[in-house]
Amino acid sequence: MTEAAVRLEGVSKTYHRGGESLRVLAGLDLEVASGEFLALMGPSGSGKSTLLNLVGGLDRIDAGRIAVAGQELSGLTESALARWRSRSVGFVFQGFNLIPVLSALENVELPLVLAPLSRKQRREHAEYALELVGLADRASHRPAQLSGGQEQRVAIARAIVSDPAVLLADEPTGDLDRASAESVMELMERLNRELEKTILVVTHDGRAAEHAGRVLHLDKGVMETVTETIKS
Amino acid sequence: MIPLRLARRNLFRHRLRTLLTLGSVATAVFLITVLRPLVSTLDAGVRQAASNRLIVQSAVSLFVSLPRSYQEKIRAVDGVEEVLKFNWFGGYYQDPKNFFGQFGVDAENLLATYPEIELLSGSEEEFIANRRGCLIGDGLVRRYGWQVGDAVPIIGALYPRLDGEPWDFQVAGIYHSATSNVDNGTLFFHYEYVQEAQDAGAAGGPEGVGVFTLRLAPGADEMAVMADVDGLFENGPQRVQTNREAEFQAQFVSMVGNVPFFVNSIGGGVFLAILLAVLNTMLLAGREQTRDAGVLKALGFTAREVAGMLLTQGLFLGLVGGAMGVGLALVAEPALLSVLGNMFPGYGITLMAASFGLSLALLVGVVSGLAPAYLVSRTSCVESLRAEI
Repeated sequence: MTEAAVRLEGVSKTYHRGGESLRVLAGLDLEVASGEFLALMGPSGSGKSTLLNLVGGLDRIDAGRIAVAGQELSGLTESALARWRSRSVGFVFQGFNLIPVLSALENVELPLVLAPLSRKQRREHAEYALELVGLADRASHRPAQLSGGQEQRVAIARAIVSDPAVLLADEPTGDLDRASAESVMELMERLNRELEKTILVVTHDGRAAEHAGRVLHLDKGVMETVTETIKS
Repeated sequence: MIPLRLARRNLFRHRLRTLLTLGSVATAVFLITVLRPLVSTLDAGVRQAASNRLIVQSAVSLFVSLPRSYQEKIRAVDGVEEVLKFNWFGGYYQDPKNFFGQFGVDAENLLATYPEIELLSGSEEEFIANRRGCLIGDGLVRRYGWQVGDAVPIIGALYPRLDGEPWDFQVAGIYHSATSNVDNGTLFFHYEYVQEAQDAGAAGGPEGVGVFTLRLAPGADEMAVMADVDGLFENGPQRVQTNREAEFQAQFVSMVGNVPFFVNSIGGGVFLAILLAVLNTMLLAGREQTRDAGVLKALGFTAREVAGMLLTQGLFLGLVGGAMGVGLALVAEPALLSVLGNMFPGYGITLMAASFGLSLALLVGVVSGLAPAYLVSRTSCVESLRAEI
């Protein structure tokens, strides 16, 4: 293991809705090493997705410190946080979340619009990313013309196209059949192994988690019962 | 920073809805662009009226004629430089639908009193010398193709010839007025031509003069002249009312009803309706694109950039719809002229009306784009990603 790609110290998060407060995370400490593949498991409402959103800078912590890819996040403004996301993290969602009006290639190219690249360079990078996930021949297809597994592969290509240090996946196999899920997890494992991407996956799926190097369990929305499983 | 391609594709995600919205914006802008000049056409005569001319009319009604003998008495009033007879003829060319203004005037004083009338061809001398001579505006040339020397038979509806024949005018000159207080679709002829026929018992119609136009002497006290002229005929036989030319023109505007109010009411209603329609479309579009907005934010686009995507779509609907509406109005202008030209002399699609229509369309685009843009920018990334579409 090398230096930490993700470091959380005493992180707390409480949601307030309709006058009620729901504490999701309380004083969480977590460290994910650079190049590590970590799976985060636990029942619904345990705070897994919240943790992922905090690491990805999609949400703000209430207390504590959080540093990802060498950047302390709590001090960043919204726009600075947005630009940091474009450089440092890639997201893979359960529902794929591809833009339906854009082709596979255009979806993958989208994050690069924010990078200092020419149109030609953007196109080349996007084609390469699609090739990495084995979908070079589906470049011109719209999401509606792809299978669920293919859509998720396109989403993974979009997540890695800007070469972020950290890849965050929230239930990436949740909407897929077993074969597609296995294929997607194998792809992520390969990205971790070959490209040394730090990957943090939230999942309910025990078989998906088996692809990770380390598995953490959360329970009841707090980090009191953390267990670790080191993949043999 | 958001690719225009994405805004465009989202706009045509529901092609029919977008086309219908564009059509409704175009219709609204067409109506506003077409209606707006009606007001400015009516106002133009008032705005461009000369300040050195007064109009004397019957104090009872504009439709009551004044005795011809009043002309010399008015001319004798201190401060009056010249007095011109101005009499509505009310005839038509061949068919009642070929209607335009004809006025019997003192031929020798017309151009001196109305210097804004510029002769394009023919001459004032020929006009004065020929009792049947007339001056026609270049609007009539465009409409009927008449040229200098042509005979123009006009049927006198108000002043019928007893032999049943039309009045036989001859074009002595073609004029153009740069100001809207003199219509370029008018025919001016010798007052005496009709009057002499009446005196000889060869023509019917009301005796007398519709109005007199006074040209004030330089430095004359306008108020004093008005009071003096009105005072001259205080005891009859026909009391008069003297007005500035602008006030006289304003009477005609009020005679056709409160057109500005109606036009502005219709325009305002159309604008509000279209604003709500486009706003509804854009709010629907914003709702459909909520999750896309969340994805874009997750990818690193700022809330402002994501909002810009929706604002761009609103602006497109406003500007393209507006341009279509203005284009439609320009295409329809000749047809509108044939329908409205008689009632509203000088009517035409003006640059100001087109700009006004486009500006309103732009406003519709901005407001309808800003509303969903604001909502999307205020929704957190996490909430946007969870949105049920």
